[in-house]
Amino acid sequence: MNEASMNKREPERMAERATYAPPVDIFENKEEILILADVPGVVLEGLTVNLDGDHLTLEGHRRSRASGGDEAVDYRRTFVVPRGIDSDKIAATIHNGVLRLVLPKPVALKPRQIEVKAG
Amino acid sequence: MFSYFEDLDRTLAAMNHLRRRVDRRLDDLEPAPSRSPGVERMWSGRFPSLSCADTGASLVFEADLPGLDEKDVQLEVHQDVLTLRGERRQDAPQGWLVHRQERAPVKFSRSFTLPCKVDLEKSTARLKDGVLTLTLVKATEARPRQIAVNAH
Repeated sequence: MNEASMNKREPERMAERATYAPPVDIFENKEEILILADVPGVVLEGLTVNLDGDHLTLEGHRRSRASGGDEAVDYRRTFVVPRGIDSDKIAATIHNGVLRLVLPKPVALKPRQIEVKAG
Repeated sequence: MFSYFEDLDRTLAAMNHLRRRVDRRLDDLEPAPSRSPGVERMWSGRFPSLSCADTGASLVFEADLPGLDEKDVQLEVHQDVLTLRGERRQDAPQGWLVHRQERAPVKFSRSFTLPCKVDLEKSTARLKDGVLTLTLVKATEARPRQIAVNAH
């Protein structure tokens, strides 16, 4: 890679492949966090979702195009998510090249009603 | 006469200057690159990103169309111009808090001049995993031919 990334002391990738940050949408409701990412050409087998503490990394590998016009590319992005998300409960699906990640919120983060009693 | 051209020159220079300033402003509006470790770049080019190749027997177009169904895409060949048209609708769920929205709904149309005649009857278009693969089979007379070299 280039000098700039050397200076930043970022970990380097083993394979010299182009890595793109896919565009994402992130939504949240009371129960879940929903991440949608554009990863055209990636199938579920080529996808890794890794939760390390509060760092969620999604990585998708895409085979080279049939026409040979482009080399294989990777998609990769890391987000800081609330602590306490259970990685076993993360659901990932890909439909038409769009990744859909559903992260159930930890109990501590769900909004709670506090009952107000008249004194 | 001379001063007339000078005026024109000055006007054109002013227009050029204005255009550069507008370009710079538009550059500022580009989405900021992501800071994820190891990520080189964010796709900020035209939608859809595509590649085309000449395989000898056919022309192969591959376009990234994430989130589109086959009914959202129209392909048309008129004379020697191929047009790829489509629309990606908003797919944001209702009633959720929005933290980030980078996948904008988009309407697009891209046209290409084909370098040779194609046989549309034999051509195919397939949309799979968000990638459209269009194979335009060249007309017989447009295909490359081998010429045998004879020793005498």
